[in-house]
Amino acid sequence: MSAMERLAVNRLRERLPLDGPTIDRFVERYGCPIIEGERATFLYRGDVDEVWIRHRVVGLPDPLPLKRIGESDLWSVTTVLPEGSRVEYQVEIRKGEHYERFNDPLNPRLAHSPMGSSSVCAAIGYRVPEWVAFDPEARQGTLVEEQVRSKALRRDQPVQIYLPARFNRAQRYPLLVVHDGTDYLEFAAMKTVLDNLIHRLDIDPLVAVFVPPRDRLKEYPNHAPHARFVARELVPLLTDRLPLVDTPEARCLMGSSFGGVASLSTAVRYPGLFGSLLLQSASLVFTDIGFDHGGGPAFDPVVKFVNRFREKPSAVVDRIFMSCGVYEPLITPNRSMVPVFRQTGMTVRYTESRDGHNWENWRDRLGDGLSWLFPGPQKFVYE
Amino acid sequence: MSTTILLGPQRFTTTVGSTVRALGVTGRIAMVNSGWEERESDDAELAGHLDGRGVNLRLHHRMMDVLSKDEHFAAAARAFRDRMDELRTFYGIRLQAAIDAVQAVAHRTSIHAVGPIAEESAMEAVREVDRWYAAELDELYRSVRATAPPDESGTIGWHRGEIGAVLDECEAVVIAGGNVRTLLWTLRVFDVELRPEQSVVAWSAGAMALTDEVVLFHDFAPQGVTAAELHDRGLGRLPGIVALPHAKRRLQLDDHERMSVLARRFAEHRLLLLDDGAVVRFPDGATDLPAGARVLDRTGHVTVVGAA
Repeated sequence: MSAMERLAVNRLRERLPLDGPTIDRFVERYGCPIIEGERATFLYRGDVDEVWIRHRVVGLPDPLPLKRIGESDLWSVTTVLPEGSRVEYQVEIRKGEHYERFNDPLNPRLAHSPMGSSSVCAAIGYRVPEWVAFDPEARQGTLVEEQVRSKALRRDQPVQIYLPARFNRAQRYPLLVVHDGTDYLEFAAMKTVLDNLIHRLDIDPLVAVFVPPRDRLKEYPNHAPHARFVARELVPLLTDRLPLVDTPEARCLMGSSFGGVASLSTAVRYPGLFGSLLLQSASLVFTDIGFDHGGGPAFDPVVKFVNRFREKPSAVVDRIFMSCGVYEPLITPNRSMVPVFRQTGMTVRYTESRDGHNWENWRDRLGDGLSWLFPGPQKFVYE
Repeated sequence: MSTTILLGPQRFTTTVGSTVRALGVTGRIAMVNSGWEERESDDAELAGHLDGRGVNLRLHHRMMDVLSKDEHFAAAARAFRDRMDELRTFYGIRLQAAIDAVQAVAHRTSIHAVGPIAEESAMEAVREVDRWYAAELDELYRSVRATAPPDESGTIGWHRGEIGAVLDECEAVVIAGGNVRTLLWTLRVFDVELRPEQSVVAWSAGAMALTDEVVLFHDFAPQGVTAAELHDRGLGRLPGIVALPHAKRRLQLDDHERMSVLARRFAEHRLLLLDDGAVVRFPDGATDLPAGARVLDRTGHVTVVGAA
C-alpha cells in the first residue's frame, strides 16, 4: 500500500508525538468522518477517558470504541463502510463517572427526526436524490389543514391535504394516505418531494392526505378504530369532496415502521378498498414458535397481527412497494415477508438500501416507490 | 400541396427560424403550441424565431374557455378522459404481457424450427392488442361525438370560426412539441385543418401529430408500461410514418432485439428518428421519406434512407 493509499489517520500516526497545531491542521483538512474508499474514520478531540461512536448499524459493534492517538487528545476509529452507505450516529464520551452523548462536533452534517438530531456519515457513492431539494422551477402544490370529526377515534383528527400544482376539478386524482403524516412532511420533505416528482413527470399528480397519530403505539399496530377512521370516514369524506379516482387501484396506504403496520393492518381489515401499499421499514416482527419476539410490550400487538397474517396470508391489495435498510434490525422480518406477500398473488416490488431506520432513508426511497405505484406521464411529453 | 418539414427537438438545437426562412415564407405563420398547456402563452421566444410573424392559435386557452362555458361538453370531455384512461390501463396490461411473451419466445432455444413461428405468432398477438385498442378508441370517439357533438357546441363553433379565419390568413403553420395528448385533443376538438397550400414545420410532439399513428415510447421511464404504446391517430398529413422524437434519449437504440420488436410491430410504417438537428423535408406534398432520413429497420438497426 503506497503512502497515498494508506489511511490519513495512519499517516498521521507516523508523525507522533502530535502537537496541537498539527492536529488542528489535520482536522481542518480532512474533516470528520474521513471517507477513504470503503472505509470511514471517525475522530473525536478532547480531554476524556473513553469515546464511542453510537449507531444502530446491525453488524457493526455498538458502541464502537475510539482509541487515543499516542498521548494526544485526538481519538479515532476506522470501520468498513460499503459504497452507497449512509449511517446516522452520535458520539458518547466518559470522563470519570460522567457520560455524555451528543452529535459529532467535527461533523456539520445532521439528520433530524422526532427523536432529535443525529450526525450523518455518508459513504462514497451516496448521493442525496436531486428531487429532494426545493426546485424553484417545480410548480408548488398546496397543503390544506383540516380537522376531521371522527366517531371511530372519538376526537377531531387533524389532517393535512396535499393538492398538486394545477389542481383542477375537471381532472381526477389518485389518493395517497400517509401515516405519520406530519413527520413525513417535516423529516422526509415529502411536500417538496411530491412537487418535484410531479414536476419531473416521474409520478402522476395525486392527492395525499397526511395523518398524524395521537397515541402511535396504540393506534398503529392493528387498531380497529384507526382502520375504521381511515377506511370508513377519511376516504369516503375525501372521495366525496375531491375529484378522486374512485377505484381501489387509485388508493394507496403508506407508512414507515409502525406506520407500515398501520397501513397493512388497515388493508387487512378492509380488503379490496385499497389497491396498493407503500411500506418503508415496516415493523413486521413475527415469531415462528412461541411469543418471545424481543421487541418489548409495544410489539406484542404487532407480533400477534403479523403471526396471524402469516398463518393465513391473503391478497388484500394488488401491489406492494416495500423498502428496508440493510443496517436496521427490521431487515430480516421485511425480507421474510416478501415471499409471504407474493404467494398470495400480490405484486411486490422490494428494494433495500445501505441505510438504517431513519427518515432520510425513507425520503430517499420515495422516488422509487411513488413512481412505481403512480407512474407519471413521461410517455406523453415530447418537448 | 406545399412542403412539410419535421425537425428534431428544438430545446438545444434551434433550427425552426432558419428552416422557416429557407422556405421563403413572407406572410403570417400560425403557431400551434397547445402541447405546452398552461405555458402556451409563453411564446415570445418562438415568435422571435419567426421574425415576429407568428400568430398563436391559442388552442389550449380556447379549450379552457370551452370547458368553462359549455358544461355539457365539459362533462362529456371528463367522461371521455376517464374512459380513455381506463382503456389505456387495460391496454397497458394486455400489451405488456404480449410484449413479454415475444421476448420470452425469442429467448427460448428452438431445435426443431418452432421458435421463429412461435415468435411471429407472438408478434401478431401484440398487433392484435394494438388493433383492439384502436378499435375501442374509435368506439369511444364515436360515443363522445354522439353524446356531445362538438359541431353542436356554440362555444366550440365560435372558436372554430376564429381559428379558421386566422388559418386562412397564414402562409405556413408551425407545430411545437409538448404533451402530445393535449396537442392532439385540441387539434381534434377544434377540427384544425391544415390547408394543402400551407407549409408546415413541426417538431417533437408536433411531428408526431402530423402522422397517422401516434406511438408513445420511453425505454428509460422509471416505471410503468415499458413497451411502446399506441396512443391515437394524428392528422394524417404524413401517413405511413411513426415519428420518434428524442430517439437517442428515449430509445435503447443499442438493444437491437428490442428495436427489432418495435419495428416489426409497426411493420407497415417507417419508424423515423428525430434527434437534435434533424431536418426531414417532404416537398410538394410528398409523403415518402427523403434521402438522409434516419429510420429503424426491421433488424432493429438505425439506417439512413438512400445510403448505399
